[in-house]
Amino acid sequence: MGNEEAVFYSRVLTELTLSFHIIYATIGVGVPLMIMIAQWVGIRKNDEHYILLARRWARGFVITVAVGVVTGTAIGLQLSLLWPNFMELAGNVIALPLFMETFAFFFEAIFLGIYLYTWDRFENQKKHLLLLVPVAIGASFSAVFITMVNAFMNAPQGFDIVNGELVNINPIIAMFNPAMPTKVAHVVITAYMTAAFVLAAIAAFRLLKGSDHIYHKKALYLTMKLGLVFAIATAIIGDFSGKYLAEYQPEKLAAAEWHFETQENAPLVLLGVMSDGEVKYAIEVPFGLSILAHNNPSAEVIGLDQFPEDEIPPLYIHYLFNIMVFIGMWMVLLSIWYWVGIKRNWRSVSTRWFRWLIVLGAPLSFIAIESGWWLAEVGRQPWILRKIMRVEDAATTSGQVDLMLMLFALLYLILGIGSIVVLRRMFRKNPVERELADRQTEKGGDIQ
Amino acid sequence: MNLEILGITVLWTFLFGYIIVGAIDFGAGFFNAYSLLTGKQRILTKVIQRYLSPVWEVTNVFLVFFFVGIIGFFPKTAFYYGTTLLVPVSIGVILLAIRGSYYAFETYGARGHKGYSFMYGLAGLLIPASLSIVLTISEGGFIEIVDGSPVLDYWVLFTSPLTWSIVVLSISATLYISAVFLTWYANKARDIEATDLLRKYALIWSLPTIITAGGIIFELRRHNFDHYTNIQTFLPMFLLSFILFVGTVWLLWTRRNYGWAFGLLAGQFAFAFYGYGASHYPYLLYPHLTLYDSFTNPAMAIALIIAFILGLGLLIPSLVLLMRLFLFNKDYVRGKDDFHV
Amino acid sequence: MVEFIIFYAPFIILIAAIVVAFLIAPMDKAVNKED
Repeated sequence: MGNEEAVFYSRVLTELTLSFHIIYATIGVGVPLMIMIAQWVGIRKNDEHYILLARRWARGFVITVAVGVVTGTAIGLQLSLLWPNFMELAGNVIALPLFMETFAFFFEAIFLGIYLYTWDRFENQKKHLLLLVPVAIGASFSAVFITMVNAFMNAPQGFDIVNGELVNINPIIAMFNPAMPTKVAHVVITAYMTAAFVLAAIAAFRLLKGSDHIYHKKALYLTMKLGLVFAIATAIIGDFSGKYLAEYQPEKLAAAEWHFETQENAPLVLLGVMSDGEVKYAIEVPFGLSILAHNNPSAEVIGLDQFPEDEIPPLYIHYLFNIMVFIGMWMVLLSIWYWVGIKRNWRSVSTRWFRWLIVLGAPLSFIAIESGWWLAEVGRQPWILRKIMRVEDAATTSGQVDLMLMLFALLYLILGIGSIVVLRRMFRKNPVERELADRQTEKGGDIQ
Repeated sequence: MNLEILGITVLWTFLFGYIIVGAIDFGAGFFNAYSLLTGKQRILTKVIQRYLSPVWEVTNVFLVFFFVGIIGFFPKTAFYYGTTLLVPVSIGVILLAIRGSYYAFETYGARGHKGYSFMYGLAGLLIPASLSIVLTISEGGFIEIVDGSPVLDYWVLFTSPLTWSIVVLSISATLYISAVFLTWYANKARDIEATDLLRKYALIWSLPTIITAGGIIFELRRHNFDHYTNIQTFLPMFLLSFILFVGTVWLLWTRRNYGWAFGLLAGQFAFAFYGYGASHYPYLLYPHLTLYDSFTNPAMAIALIIAFILGLGLLIPSLVLLMRLFLFNKDYVRGKDDFHV
Repeated sequence: MVEFIIFYAPFIILIAAIVVAFLIAPMDKAVNKED
């Protein structure tokens, strides 16, 4: 196998692992906060339903965390196995957040273990809720630290290269690179958003499947509201990301927006297809790109004409950008509609088709997450470390990557199917109505 | 002590931690599966699951910590080991993934599912075998530099007696460590039947463990004479390790003080492990890579050490809390209360 | 301004969103009428 093939398969394997891992990682980052909010509401309002909601979410969460942990271990090792040259360089400059990520994860793992096995162990429920704080913090900070590494790949700084040697290394400056704030905030907030919409989809699905219990209605209302808040925040931070790109990675923005010529009053190209180098069927929003990039309708936006041919990312990232943005917008609209509808007693929000739309929100959110990551990663091409190391120079020279790709594909298939089967089985065997009834009898004479 | 040695000592300590908690974990999974096969699950499953349940995720972190740390402190290892270890480590990762997730599937989703239990029991047993290959490779003689990049010679690797002794040692040590610990744990849970059975397993697995461990030192003489000579310098550590081993077996044999037996066992492995590590110095990979030519820049090293100290400040109290709530909590160990989510 | 948007504003929005989430989460009168 020539090295070109090793590079190709390394890219495919990394993409596969990340695409699979990000599903579980997103749930892993987002759901602890949702559990925390539900339990907090439950304790505050003394409402058994919210407590049970937290408890059932926590149960399902364990399964996804397990897959998240093991696939996270896989990607951690694959970075060194598939991109040894990159990791050798990166290890010198950006190892600090990688290392801290382990601590965050460690912290989370310990308290998750304690949290899961101490339900009802404490007289004071607030103490139990307190155990969840380090879980949520650890989960979110795992995302923060690991995204710092990814941000570094987009905007490397904190070192100089003199005669091929790394000098003047400053790990802190490398961590706090310009790509970091927008990227970290975007990753974390979309994890919250996706988690909220996934949990909303589950509640909506139960309602569709014949349950009319108020438990599900409360769950749906809570998660849709949370989803709305996080979706709006996502859009705002997304806009900031555009401004970051315009300033520091103009080629990525230009490729994602199909902005070919540097110009003032730049329009924003939405949708459209590319055929023979021409953009067709696109909607042009006048001044849109100038506003997105610089908050100023007449500002000049750098186009692809400013970059050498071999440093332009693939243009198909425009489609990924569109998918991500349109799904985000759609979820904002859907949740506003639902929220206002509930407040105003609109009939539409309790119809079957509307609930199906909410159910559909879960896969859509994941598609948005995946497109966002593909956009971020493909948009950095041809660089693995922008302007410093190309992807093809970073890959392994090993000849067995294709075989490993097949093995890992099989593994992810087994894990994916396994986790779905187990989750379905878990909740089907123990429906919420029965569990609520059980808890009533358990409490016996207690005052409810 | 210089930064290089400080760095590797920290990492080596985490690897040691992983070997002990990982062995307990993997061995327990295997004994659980084995008891299903022989119809003894009534005796073992309860005690094993009591221990395993709250700690499984923590085990994994020790490993992640080690490999993230080694890239941080010794970035060149990424180049040498990353390029050559693609296949063995990938297999290890796949096993880890199966082990971790199917453990969770069985425990939280489908209690008592036999297929799942077999899957994670077997996967767990193969993990030490596949990961121990890394130690074998570090002895040198299996990697050639071709056109500036290291290439692993699989034929030499898999026909070397050293490889297979280390594989056997890793498996039997896993079962030995696990059985000794679980004997103690079962005894604390006042589960007499389980204690007896696990004590038997511990005694059975003590023998292959010590034989292969001794054999490996002997084989190193042929395979890597430098390392063998270095080991002689640290002979007292290995002797001490052997004495502790005898102590553990004696305590088990006479059914006395299982807590001490596990303590001695930890000491035995600590002396052997640090003795081995020290005699490996200064090489990370014979003869290509030493601590010194692979070490990161001082700025990163200091940043990592500061992060490490701050992190420990956070972790140690949390670990103590975890152990007090589960490992050393009498009511929990004896199964009196169950507060599972 | 650009520097503020790129370096600080994302975290402000993130934290604000979490705070708002906690504030609005307990407001469930709209679905809790049956109790």
